[in-house]
Amino acid sequence: MELELFSGAFFSALLAIILIDLVLAGDNALIIGLVARNLPKESQNKVIFWGTFGAIAIRALMAILVVYILAVPGFMLAGGLALVWIARKLVTPQDNAEESHLVKAPAASFAAAVRTIIIADAVMGIDNVLAIGGASHGSILLILLGLAISVPIIVWGSQLVIKLVDRYPSVILIGGAVLCWTAYGMITREPMLVAWFEEHKAAKLVLAVLAFSIALAPWYAERLSDQMKPLTVLLPAILVWMLGFEIVSSVWKVQVDYLMATTQGEYLIEGLRWIGWLPFAAFFLWVRERMMLRNGSVARSAQ
Amino acid sequence: MRLIHRSHRAANAVRTVSPSGELFVASIVICMILASFGDAVDPTWLGEVGLEFALFDFGGELSVMAMRHWHLIELMFAGTVMAAGIMVLRIVGGAFFRPLDPAHRDALEKVPIKL
Repeated sequence: MELELFSGAFFSALLAIILIDLVLAGDNALIIGLVARNLPKESQNKVIFWGTFGAIAIRALMAILVVYILAVPGFMLAGGLALVWIARKLVTPQDNAEESHLVKAPAASFAAAVRTIIIADAVMGIDNVLAIGGASHGSILLILLGLAISVPIIVWGSQLVIKLVDRYPSVILIGGAVLCWTAYGMITREPMLVAWFEEHKAAKLVLAVLAFSIALAPWYAERLSDQMKPLTVLLPAILVWMLGFEIVSSVWKVQVDYLMATTQGEYLIEGLRWIGWLPFAAFFLWVRERMMLRNGSVARSAQ
Repeated sequence: MRLIHRSHRAANAVRTVSPSGELFVASIVICMILASFGDAVDPTWLGEVGLEFALFDFGGELSVMAMRHWHLIELMFAGTVMAAGIMVLRIVGGAFFRPLDPAHRDALEKVPIKL
């Protein structure tokens, strides 16, 4: 779907891309610093130049590839699901400073350093490129603009981004919400599911709430009391249960709508759909409480 | 490693976000869910169930239906307006209800009334 140039949809997609670029930007300078720290001074400048150049080239290649990959049936769904998880990881608090696992040790040679930088950037940029591919609705112009925004961030803008998110942490939460919204759009645009969503319109709402409840769980879990914390698991689980019945109804041609149910079996299925999750929820809460009691007694005995 | 993890405040955004920033983002998320609700409801279904008059009476549901094709910028504007509205309501409500709270019996501003 090509977006109309300079329309509201175009600028909205551009805004989504800018936000995604900001929150998913990788720390390229740190990688270069770690890789090149043992090389001679004259090699370090060459590593910085070629490493950055290679990182930009690989990012451009991935951005072009992702447009074609997302056009393959099934990949839009997989990408959408991956974005929900990426959004969740984004808003999950990091108590300790994360160490880079992409660089194990400083490189011994110029070629090894450049190779490590390019591979590290490709790994760090996969989520960014995937999200931009989803937000751009297949528009090559938006992909190029996304690239034009992310490249300066890779090369020069890291301090600016750090200052911005440090002053306004809500940018991270907006980024998470936008990623989730993009994921919802990608899943509903999946070619294999478009017709199904047209038939099951209510499933779109369930899907949206499900995506937000999974991705933003670390956020609302912080505001919930200990007694209410299981809601972070129960709410998505109940929504999956509801969505499961919609899927089952279309796969096995079972009637799950009580307004259209005619036989006793159909009424039973309908009842199962609305209250069948209760025993599972009760079992989960019981197990959780038992585990908490057990952990508490173990901690007391260890003291 | 992401750039945002270089900042402790950003890496722990759910803990360090300001109340107004949180309200703003929460409003945007609510608008996104409302938009998906508008996307999920079939307008012809409302007529079939005979709800069109009820909806015209309230109007709110129709507004939600209109949000079905909203873009991110529109949702952000709507979220901003919603957050501002909630904030004004909170301030006005606070100003209204605070005088109704009785002061502590030993508080300085307590006026002793002796008949």
